[in-house]
Amino acid sequence: MTSIVDKGAPAEVRPASKTARILGVAALALAIGIAAPWLVASKLTLSLTTQAIFDALLATSVGFLVLQNGRVSFGQAAFFGLGGYAFGVLVARQLMAPELAFILALALPTLIAFLLGIVFARITGVAHAMLTLAVGQAFYEVAFRWRELAKGDDGMSFELPERFFGFASRHFQDPAVMVVVAWSILVLALAGLALFVNSRVGQIAAAVRDNEERARFIGHDTTIPPAIVYAISAFLAAIAGLLQATYNGYIAPQMFHWSLSGSALIMAVVGGAQFIVGPAIGAVCFFFLKDFAGRFAEYWPAIVGTVLVAVTLLMPQGMVGLASRAWTGRRSKP
Amino acid sequence: MSEGFAIQGIGVERRYGGFSALKGVDIAVKRGEIRGLIGPNGAGKSTLIDVLSGRVRGQPGRVLLDGKDVSGLKPQERRRLGLARSFQRTNIFPALSVEQQLRIASWAVADAGVEEVMAELNLTALAGMPAAEISYGDQRRLDLALALVGRPRVLLLDEPAAGLTVEESHGLATILRDLANRWNVTVLLVEHDMQVVFSICDGITVLHLGQKLAEGGVADIRADQRVVTAYLGTEA
Repeated sequence: MTSIVDKGAPAEVRPASKTARILGVAALALAIGIAAPWLVASKLTLSLTTQAIFDALLATSVGFLVLQNGRVSFGQAAFFGLGGYAFGVLVARQLMAPELAFILALALPTLIAFLLGIVFARITGVAHAMLTLAVGQAFYEVAFRWRELAKGDDGMSFELPERFFGFASRHFQDPAVMVVVAWSILVLALAGLALFVNSRVGQIAAAVRDNEERARFIGHDTTIPPAIVYAISAFLAAIAGLLQATYNGYIAPQMFHWSLSGSALIMAVVGGAQFIVGPAIGAVCFFFLKDFAGRFAEYWPAIVGTVLVAVTLLMPQGMVGLASRAWTGRRSKP
Repeated sequence: MSEGFAIQGIGVERRYGGFSALKGVDIAVKRGEIRGLIGPNGAGKSTLIDVLSGRVRGQPGRVLLDGKDVSGLKPQERRRLGLARSFQRTNIFPALSVEQQLRIASWAVADAGVEEVMAELNLTALAGMPAAEISYGDQRRLDLALALVGRPRVLLLDEPAAGLTVEESHGLATILRDLANRWNVTVLLVEHDMQVVFSICDGITVLHLGQKLAEGGVADIRADQRVVTAYLGTEA
C-alpha cells in the first residue's frame, strides 16, 4: 500500500461556517450596492452599470451550466428573451396584474428549461452546443416572424402600469433605482448559487458532471439533479431578460439571438467559468471594455477581439482563476 | 429455492447481434461467501458482472438479490438494495475530493459510515485531496471505497487489483478478505491474479467462451484438468 505520512484528516470547512461566510459576503455586497447611487453622481455611469449587471446575470446563468453540469450552451438567450417577452406581452395586453406577469415570466422559462434539461443532460460536447443553438434560434424565429405577438422584427415598446410591487413604476426605469435592484438581485443570485453548490442536490449534480455512470452505480438518480441546474440557470437568464425589458420598456427579437448567448459565454469564460463569481466579473469587465473602446476608436471590435485573444491565451482559467492562483501562491509562501 | 443465496444469476445471456457473449450462465453465491470468477480473456466475466449489476438490462435470464428478482431494476435501484460494484477501469469522480465523493455516495444508502470506510481503506489522510491528484493505487482503493460505503450486502468486483504492484494487490486482498468477513459482505470477484484468487476465495466459478466450464472449491478447481487446459496452464 502507499505510505501514509499523516493520519489526521485535513481541516475541512464545516458546512455551517461556509453558509455563514457566503451570507456575510452577500450582506456586505448588498450594503455597497445600496450606497452606490449616493456615491456616484453620473446618471450615465449608473445606467451603464445597470446594463452591465444585466449582462452579468446572463453570463452567470451560462457559466453556471458550465460549472455545475459541464455543458456549453449557445442558446441561453432563449430564456433571457422568454423572460422579457412573457413579461412585456402580458403587461402590454393587460392580461393580468403586473406582479403576476412577473412571476409567470420567471416560472415559464424555468419550467421549460427543466423539461429540456431532462433531455439535454444526456447529450454532451458539440452535439449539446448545436442542440441548444437550434432551440435558441427557434425561439428567435418565432419572435422575429410572429408580428401579432410583439410586432416581430420591429420590437415592441410597452407601458408599465402606474404601480408595480407597490412602487411607482417610473422608479424601475430610473438608473439610480434600477442599479440597486439589479445589483441586489445579482448578489442574491450569486449567494444562492454558492449555497446550491454546497447543497446535496448541487453536489450530486457535480458528481453526475464528473462521472455520470459511476453516479448511477453509487445509487443516485442522474436525471433530475442536472435538470434542476438547467432550471436554475434559465431562471437567472429570465430574471436578466425581465429586468432589462422592465428597465427599457421595450422588447425585441434580438433578446433571443444566438449572438447574445455567444457573447454571454465569452464573458463567462473570460471571467472564469470554474468559479461562481467568474462570469459576472467577466461580464462587467467586458462591458466596460466595449464601452471604453467604442468611445475612442471606430473599429472598436478589433480592440475588443485582440484583448479577448490575449486574455484567453494568458488566462486559461479566466480572470478569477488567475487572481485565485496568485492569491493561493502568495499565501503558501512562508 | 434461493434460500441462502445472496446473489443469483439464472440463465443469464448477453447477445451482441449474432454473437453471444454469455450463453445461459447460472451462478449462485451463498451469503458471506467470496467467490472468484476466472477464465481467459473474452470468457464473459466482465459481461456477467455488467448483467448482475444492471449495467446491461433487457437480456434473457434473471438476476436475484437475496431471492428477490431485480432483473428489471436500474443500477441505482440495485445499489440502494445493497448490490454494489467496482470497475475494471478506475471509475471515480476526478474533480471531487476523496471525502466529498464518499459522502455523496453515502446519501443514497442507509448506515453510511464514511469515516470507517476511509479508515479501513487507508484513505483518511487523503480525504481532502481531489481524486485526480492521488496515486493510481489510491484511486483503486477509492473505487473500492465508493462501492463499500453503506456496507452493501453484495459486492461485485471487476479486477480490483488491475494495474497494482504485487505488494499492493496482496495488501488489497487482505483488506478485502478482512472486510468481507467482518461486515458479512458477499463478494463476487473477477481477477487475473491467481495468487489473489486462491488466497482469498471460498469457491471459484470458471467461465470459458460464455459458458460455465467448472465450479467448486479452490483445490478442486486447481486440480480440474479442463480448467488447467483452458486457462490455468502450468501456473497452477
